[in-house]
Amino acid sequence: MMPGRVSIRAMGETAFDTIVATHHGEIFRYLRRIAWRAGEADDLSQETFLRAYRAWPRLTPDANVRAWLFTIATNVYRNHVRSEKRRQAAHATVRATGRELDLNGPEEEAVADETRALTQAAIRQLPLKQRLAFTLRKLHELDYEAIGQSLECSPDSARAHVFQALRKIRTTLNGYALPQTESTR
Amino acid sequence: MTSKPRVCVAIEPDLIAVATGEAPPPAAERVEDHVAQCRSCRDDFERYRAIDVAVGSLRATAPPPDDIEAARQRLIARLADLKTRIVSYRAFESPLGRILIGSSEHGVALVEYLGDGGVAGSRLFRMTGVEPHEDGAELERLGRELLDYLAGRRTRLDWALDLRAARSDFERAVLEAAAAVPYGAVESYRGIAGDLGKPEAVRAVAQALRHNPLPIVVPCHRIIGSGGDLVGYAGNRLGLKEQLLAVEGVPTLHERTPRIARRSLYHYEPNPSREYCLPTCGDIARRPIGMLFSSRAQAEAKGLVPCRDCHPDLYPLPQ
Repeated sequence: MMPGRVSIRAMGETAFDTIVATHHGEIFRYLRRIAWRAGEADDLSQETFLRAYRAWPRLTPDANVRAWLFTIATNVYRNHVRSEKRRQAAHATVRATGRELDLNGPEEEAVADETRALTQAAIRQLPLKQRLAFTLRKLHELDYEAIGQSLECSPDSARAHVFQALRKIRTTLNGYALPQTESTR
Repeated sequence: MTSKPRVCVAIEPDLIAVATGEAPPPAAERVEDHVAQCRSCRDDFERYRAIDVAVGSLRATAPPPDDIEAARQRLIARLADLKTRIVSYRAFESPLGRILIGSSEHGVALVEYLGDGGVAGSRLFRMTGVEPHEDGAELERLGRELLDYLAGRRTRLDWALDLRAARSDFERAVLEAAAAVPYGAVESYRGIAGDLGKPEAVRAVAQALRHNPLPIVVPCHRIIGSGGDLVGYAGNRLGLKEQLLAVEGVPTLHERTPRIARRSLYHYEPNPSREYCLPTCGDIARRPIGMLFSSRAQAEAKGLVPCRDCHPDLYPLPQ
């Protein structure tokens, strides 16, 4: 018989399992939104949580776990983009869509859905940092502090990226009719 | 594009902020006043509103739950694999020199006296299927308990153990048998071999303990030669073995080689009535050592009873 069987990691293990249970869905959605191919999000989210698990013992107890995971996911994605670029210039084809928005939604969808598809396509054309800042802010509602942490910039720069992204999206959509909203008088 | 009036340029950030729900009320008032009289900015405002509404509906769309669940299951499988590989470690200064402790999800996997090579020379980096991770917080408690133990402030290290570094089932069995030798007691290699039902395997027992990945915790320092010699430890650092035994109150003698002071200890050699004896009981102190105890309480905690010939209960050894 071995002496005591109280596993020293037991409590910690449970806590990380809870982190996975709580945050995996959102991190997966985030990566799914920013990745070019659906299958990438799977690999990238696994990579994110494996890294998080390794770094987790060094995380301070009062840390914002959600913001921390978004930071790791963003880093994983940016590294991925970098290595993709190095490996192939295939992104050029995506970028080369230029002014024409690449809509893959069905034509007969309602106007609101068309605006959504146009907006999504416009988001895809944003430069990387703006696209990430915009996604973190507008689709995942992170605060600028956390976004700055993710993008290694100040909260003010993070805010500037988001606003620049909004201007670009508006400019991209200038040629398209957008529905009137309730605030119209 | 024509250039905008300066007032429109100035209010643009607020306009975007208000349209997309980023601005506090005072800005909202300013923007409202401005768009009421500026046609072009009103259009911009409307477009930003429309974009914000579209973004809101994008926020609400999610990949099918099945996709997320499948991805989560793949992640859990990979995490489980990683968890089995990770061994966190940290080195501590101790009265016995620098000691490295490595711990996996199953328990403590390695305790090592670090040599001149320091942490980099640790056998942790040569173990197969192990991903070493330097770690502070988690191992802090283990290090503290180990130091308490070495200072005699604690007699047990109730740690879950991960015996992955044991190279065979036999080694594992030897380590478990050694772990069963109580604090303040010693047993011979021969006694362990007997416990395992392999009395001929004395050398194999010694070999297994030589590779003990968990010294101190698996107290191989409590295992001695059957004549009372301390015999090898951590290479040939018998001094460490002696210090560890001294902490536990097991006296040693300095003759040609360090030896257990048998005559200060209670003796036990396997017998049907499980009796333990004084060292003066017949020629027991000259026969090969089975187990020795520094107190009666330890012997009796092992389920042993006082010998009815020499009566250690009536004539206890001086403390």
